Amino acid sequence: MNLMTEKIAGLWPEISLLLGACSCIAAGLAGTVSVRRLAAPIAAVALAVAGVATLAGASPPTSIHIGAHGSSANGIAAPLACYVKIAVVGVGLLLLLVAAAVPNRIRSDQQVDNAPGSAFDAGLVMRGEFFAFFLLSLTGVMLVSGATDLVWLFLALELTSLPTYVMVATARDRVEANEAAVKYFFLGALAAAVFLYGFTLLYGATGSTDLNVIHNVAKHQLAHGGLSPLLLTGMLLSIVGIAFKIAAVPMHFYAADVYQGASTAVTAFLAFVPKTAGFVALILILGITGDHTPQPVIWLLWAMEALTMTIGNVMGLLQTNVKRVLAYSSIAHSGYMLLGLVALGGHRAGEAAVLFYVVGYGLATIAAFAVLGCLETNGDESQDYAHIAGLAKRNPGLAATLLLAVLSLIGMPPLVGFLGKVYLFTSAIDHGYVCLVVIAAINSAIGAVYYLRIASACYFGKPDEATRVIDWPSRRVGGTAAAVIALALGIVGGPLVEAASLAVDAPIGHPTHSTGIVLPPADDERGEMPDTATPQPAAPTTAPADDAPAATETAPQPAPETAPSEPAGKSSDM
Amino acid sequence: MTLELETIKWIPWLPALAAVVGGVCCMRKSMRNLAAPACILSILAGFIITLGVQSKVTVDSPRVFKAFTWIHIENFAVDFSFYVDPLTIIMLTVITGVGTLVAWYASGYMKGDRGYARFFAAVSLFIFAMTILVMADNLFLLYLGWEGVGLCSYLLIGFYYNKPAAVAAAKKAFIVNRIGDLFFALGIFLTYSHFHTVSLAEVLRSAGDLNTNLHAGGQGVFDLGAAPSVVVIPFLLMLGAFGKSAQLPLYMWLPDAMEGPTPVSALIHAATMVTAGVYLIARLLPLFALSPYALPIVAAVGGATALFAATIALCQCDIKRIFAYSTISQLGYMFMGVGAVSTAGPTVSATGAIYHLFTHAFFKALLFLTAGSVMHSLAGQLDLRKMSGLSKKMPITSVLMLIGCLALAGFPFTSGFFSKDLILADVVEMGRSNSPFATLYSVLGIVGVATAFLTAFYTFRLWFRVFTGPEQYEMGSDGHGHEEEGHDAGKAGHEQAHAPKSGETASAAIAVEHHHEPHEVSFVLMNLPLIFLAIGALGAGLWESKFGWIHHGIETSSAFLGYIPKTASDAGEAHDIHFTMQLISGSIAIVGIALAAWFHWLNRPAGERVARAFSGLVKVLNNKYYVDELNDALIVRPLRTLADVLFVFDSLIIDGIVQLVGFLPRALGMSLRPSQQGELQGYGLGMAFGAAFVLIVVLWSLNLVAMH
Repeated sequence: MNLMTEKIAGLWPEISLLLGACSCIAAGLAGTVSVRRLAAPIAAVALAVAGVATLAGASPPTSIHIGAHGSSANGIAAPLACYVKIAVVGVGLLLLLVAAAVPNRIRSDQQVDNAPGSAFDAGLVMRGEFFAFFLLSLTGVMLVSGATDLVWLFLALELTSLPTYVMVATARDRVEANEAAVKYFFLGALAAAVFLYGFTLLYGATGSTDLNVIHNVAKHQLAHGGLSPLLLTGMLLSIVGIAFKIAAVPMHFYAADVYQGASTAVTAFLAFVPKTAGFVALILILGITGDHTPQPVIWLLWAMEALTMTIGNVMGLLQTNVKRVLAYSSIAHSGYMLLGLVALGGHRAGEAAVLFYVVGYGLATIAAFAVLGCLETNGDESQDYAHIAGLAKRNPGLAATLLLAVLSLIGMPPLVGFLGKVYLFTSAIDHGYVCLVVIAAINSAIGAVYYLRIASACYFGKPDEATRVIDWPSRRVGGTAAAVIALALGIVGGPLVEAASLAVDAPIGHPTHSTGIVLPPADDERGEMPDTATPQPAAPTTAPADDAPAATETAPQPAPETAPSEPAGKSSDM
Repeated sequence: MTLELETIKWIPWLPALAAVVGGVCCMRKSMRNLAAPACILSILAGFIITLGVQSKVTVDSPRVFKAFTWIHIENFAVDFSFYVDPLTIIMLTVITGVGTLVAWYASGYMKGDRGYARFFAAVSLFIFAMTILVMADNLFLLYLGWEGVGLCSYLLIGFYYNKPAAVAAAKKAFIVNRIGDLFFALGIFLTYSHFHTVSLAEVLRSAGDLNTNLHAGGQGVFDLGAAPSVVVIPFLLMLGAFGKSAQLPLYMWLPDAMEGPTPVSALIHAATMVTAGVYLIARLLPLFALSPYALPIVAAVGGATALFAATIALCQCDIKRIFAYSTISQLGYMFMGVGAVSTAGPTVSATGAIYHLFTHAFFKALLFLTAGSVMHSLAGQLDLRKMSGLSKKMPITSVLMLIGCLALAGFPFTSGFFSKDLILADVVEMGRSNSPFATLYSVLGIVGVATAFLTAFYTFRLWFRVFTGPEQYEMGSDGHGHEEEGHDAGKAGHEQAHAPKSGETASAAIAVEHHHEPHEVSFVLMNLPLIFLAIGALGAGLWESKFGWIHHGIETSSAFLGYIPKTASDAGEAHDIHFTMQLISGSIAIVGIALAAWFHWLNRPAGERVARAFSGLVKVLNNKYYVDELNDALIVRPLRTLADVLFVFDSLIIDGIVQLVGFLPRALGMSLRPSQQGELQGYGLGMAFGAAFVLIVVLWSLNLVAMH
């Protein structure tokens, strides 16, 4: 019981979002339009409460790291979870501004709204559901960041994705939207099967679903002849499966179709929310092996990274549909962020860079989609270069927002995209992945072509007669705010960078762990047995009541007398 | 009046400020008349400061004043600091003194010009750069000034930027100077790599020490051992100097530079900027003395240029071009003078060259400006053949130009006589010494005397042609490049029956008169400054021979290689040579003038007969030895052909590569396109295969590792 309450104590942000989701549904069922329209404000309040709850639950990070992913004992959120939750709340509010007007465009809602009272059919209105699913998906991301267990992680990932399938399907009255939702759902299910398979293999290899335990077993195995193939395969499958969430090769196929089919505001949502969940999940999965990412995993990430950004960029070049362009840009940016994961061992600067970049990317892409969402061509969404042509002449404000967004996506100083790329690339260079960085730089150059094409269409193109600007203040404010924040973070991004590095690197000074941090891979050869032989960095201090400690005591039985050098060398060869 | 030496720091900044003011004036039409006073006053202030501090300079010179740190990279520091010794003061006197007078003259001359403010902004900027050049304590700063004057020269030659000839001339000047500047820059780099400093004070000290060693030990320069670079430095710097000072082979830009407004020709292309090369060598004389060949080569190039340019000047018909070739020729004298120096004696300082630089600035500026007055009153007419007997119409101008011509010709007791004589005496003295290059210097002495004769002849050919004989003239077509505004305003004034109303149309009235007949130019604005110049041109030599200001100054400056104890007989011999040369050059000047008077004043038909008799030679000279054509055929055309070839290469190969680079990502995308057909099954298959592929590869590689 005690355990349960403590766990719940750390989940106040999630709980508030959940309650908000329920309230949205309830409000959505009301017979009067004005009450139904409260759904969006309710969602905003829920997000705000979640933000406050996160800040209240956060405390100076003292205790937990690698071994104890997101452990939330004593109601203290882990720094990683804390960072992710704050980011989700912040970016979520912007997304909400952008998405607030979505139900107004759904035909059934319009009909019901315009025929007040007469014959209210709750089955026709989507507004309540839309915002409820919106909040539920965000809840999923928050839960992912706090996951300490594979089952939890799986459920949280699915909680992130399932609402988005519905949002894609219902938020736009077009058959393409339904097609997109079906594709998204089936392919998402396939990917979920892949990483679920990976999770079961992890369980099979270690006998536990607890990430701490799995970490300790992995550590033990690393110290004694390398990871077992089962554990390794489990990791690989998990990574490949989760790649779907971030739209990375080979799981990227859906992105362009789904992004194109979904309502523009929902596309913005898809570009940030599942991606964040995916990267956090990847960080947790890679955390299993701590600082010593096995060589095959590095190969996998290396190849995924190079292919993802290259495919994303070269395909982006060919598109004439701006939403598809931004979809491929989303793929390409996932490629850049994988760079940080490759560079994960050692100082963990790579992780911090990823966490920073995902926010920067989210801001820029939300701004771009928001501007796109403010345009309408022949009663439908504007999607082509031709539609945004000459926007600067019609609406300089929107054009400027779009310009800032694409410049940030290019990585132009002083925007946040530049800062993000600097951190990612330097972290990768620090770990010797110069070749990857060169590939990434070439890719950035290729990407600049289609981003600048957007900007040039906007500023030098001839205005399209059929396109008009819709007056949706909330969406415009959301987009502008995202662009302005992208600019501001590019100039004074220090605090966010610090927060990101704190999120992964917090407990410096923890004796056991700090040794782990500073050990370069070469030191493995010397076999730091005393260190590896004390494998419970987190358990005694952080979660005394968890079952984790018990499992930990039983699982790894370090054998100090084993000759350390040879197996260690072997493990690094893998 | 004396001022603290420290005040000298202000000299460059006042014109800089005036340049900024001028720039602002360019933008506001109402303020454009402010530019000229700002420019004149800033230069005048510099002149006053120079005079004020000059008495303090000889005491413990050189002094270095630091304005601020300019470049500081780790151990490498270059300061914005000024090196002040008497040579600096002499140069500053010339620049600010002549500069003030020319700017004063220009304020009248340029009146009514559309680019009035722009002109004075550029002149102010020029004075800034030129003062920086002569005051620089390090080669970097000197180079800044060097390039700065080059820039201003470019801007001012191309001042009438809608005149194609002016634009072409500006480009030519700039490009030819760049060739020299390239070598100059290399020289600076080599200096730094050898001496580990670019500070003049330190470089000169090191070079002086080396010289002392050389002199004392009798050690040959090529025995300096580890330092062959020292021997190369002078040659590189020399080429820079030749470019800036229009010496062979880089002289051809200067005649074309006459496309600029006449005051610019006077100030930049006669009195100051073109003498920068002479200044550079004089300033770095100890460095040049390190190589046994450097100074003789300088002298030889100077002598060749002097004679070469003088012969061309004989047959030119454009007044300004005659003076331009004469400038090249006189600069050749200066190089001869600065080259006729040796650590081994008998000449150990560049006094002659600097002296001639000083006097030349006065009389050549005077000549150019009087030519400008003629041009001004004849509406741009510059052709000798189209004017005659103007002395009645322009009495003051004719007298002023006569004074300039006498000084240039080296008529006894004018300033040019003394300074030219000093150079000739130095060269002859070198020729009689035991220097290994004595023969060269002897030949140069003869060349110098011959050039003096030619100079006297062509100078007075010009003067007699313009001011004597029957009164005839043909007005020019435009207001000496007095652009459209003045011209149109002139027409407008004409229609209004000569009724200029306001100050704005005063120039229009002048322009109207242009089309009627020549007239004397405005006295206060244009002739008064010329009178000061004329006083300088006449009296500077007498004043100098009484007070020895330049002689004493140079002996405490870096253009002095050291005292050689002279025996009484040596001194006596030197005095004899001096006196002989004065006699020879004085009489030869008079002969030249007399000959010119005969052919071009008293008996013009005889002159024409002679010209016809030597028509072949006249044609060659008239075409300036076909050097421009030769250049075109040997350098410009081959380069152009090469450029064409490279263009083809560029457009096919390089562009092809670039296009290919651009095409590759696109092609890659095209090849991937089939993977995005929009079919669910295809996507699912892709994902499944992807996951399977990853597993297979990893497990296979694990097996591989396990087997080993």
